[in-house]
Amino acid sequence: MDGFFRPNRYYRPKNIREATQLLSTFGERARIIAGGTDLLVEEPSEIDSIIDLENLNLSFIRKNKEGIDIGATTTINLIDSSPVFSMSPYHVLKEAAQEMATPAIRNMGTIGGNICNASPAADLSVALMVLDTNLKISGFNGTRILPIGDFFKDVNKTSLIDDELLVALHIPLYSGSDVASFLKLKHHQTSIDIAIVNVAVRLSFSEKICEEARIALGAVAKTPIHIKKAETILGGMEINAALIENAAYLAAQESSPIDDVRASASYRKKMVAVLVKRALENCMKGRDEWLKST
Amino acid sequence: MAKVDIKIWVNGEEFGLAVEPHETLLDVLRNRLFLTGTKKGCGKGECGACTVNIDGKSILSCLTLAVKADGKEILTIEGLQNGNNLHPLQEAFIEQGAIQCGFCTPGMIMAAKAILNHHLNPSEAVVRTGLSGNLCRCTGYESIVRAILKANKLRGVD
Repeated sequence: MDGFFRPNRYYRPKNIREATQLLSTFGERARIIAGGTDLLVEEPSEIDSIIDLENLNLSFIRKNKEGIDIGATTTINLIDSSPVFSMSPYHVLKEAAQEMATPAIRNMGTIGGNICNASPAADLSVALMVLDTNLKISGFNGTRILPIGDFFKDVNKTSLIDDELLVALHIPLYSGSDVASFLKLKHHQTSIDIAIVNVAVRLSFSEKICEEARIALGAVAKTPIHIKKAETILGGMEINAALIENAAYLAAQESSPIDDVRASASYRKKMVAVLVKRALENCMKGRDEWLKST
Repeated sequence: MAKVDIKIWVNGEEFGLAVEPHETLLDVLRNRLFLTGTKKGCGKGECGACTVNIDGKSILSCLTLAVKADGKEILTIEGLQNGNNLHPLQEAFIEQGAIQCGFCTPGMIMAAKAILNHHLNPSEAVVRTGLSGNLCRCTGYESIVRAILKANKLRGVD
């Protein structure tokens, strides 16, 4: 590295207490490193200390009767290869993991890093949002639980304060009849391409009625966003083609994309409608298959 | 700057080093251990030229801080050969003419090694997905994929 990325100190704390203590001492002059795949590309020049989470034992995926707990430093490839995420609706996270970056980067990059970097286009974030994931955040003065939808504040900005770090993620328990889908639109030039638009959807049913709908979009606002209007019109309804069209239209309306090198804002809006429609149709297909198998 | 003592195993050999916090594994391999087979391409994780294996998995040495490799087993292109015998991947790359300018080759072969580590009989699709992070600007992909499938046939117990 030939830039001005010249941290003076490297720490590998042995427990969370030690890590938060270091964060509270160094404040903004310290940066956490997990996989390093964002930090070493960014090479922030103002950083004086690196705090490595390697020895905190935060690489785990545990399923129990309350749901799934994922450690913050669990790599993206571990999520992709875990049987826990083969089941509906949790497979939406696996679908997002598979669409991310390259095999080598997936061996390095972590789920916590992907979220904390707070890219508006982060693939895992939208999948985690539709699963109503809660984040376990530890600070020097204690631990708090935050819904992932409240975590993102702006481009690359989260609600973490100086001495806090993301420790784990909790996905609640769903029934096998709940369905979800992730779709990503990108230039198919290289597999590292960032999303032009990414979409995740979850539908939970009681008999024929969709009790709860979740739709999250990435790369069309400053943070990944929930499309609340579209979620509301689907909730409590029997889903049909007209309702899907309407939800897709509302999603496009509610998105606020920008023009950039990857695509224009107007193209992105059109693609939001296409992707939301397809993701909802995928969910209904999944739902039909589940009904047939029971 | 506070140097950090690390111990790494590279191609089976143990090295104790004092590294600076910002030094990458790639720079340590090339500039300190003189293992220049591993190439520095983009330096930003986009090209795959710096691919090595850590604990049997492919990783990018340009995005890995040397301090994070502490205690790990690293395999580079120089460690594939067994005495005077080339590795089946090296044999197959030569036989299939899977090398043009050669710059991407060490990274390609180390990505291929990780594919073979994790798949007993990889399909062509698995090979192509496994190579999706490695760019060949001579665009010699067809022969590279052929070489890896051939190496899979050539290998005995690895």
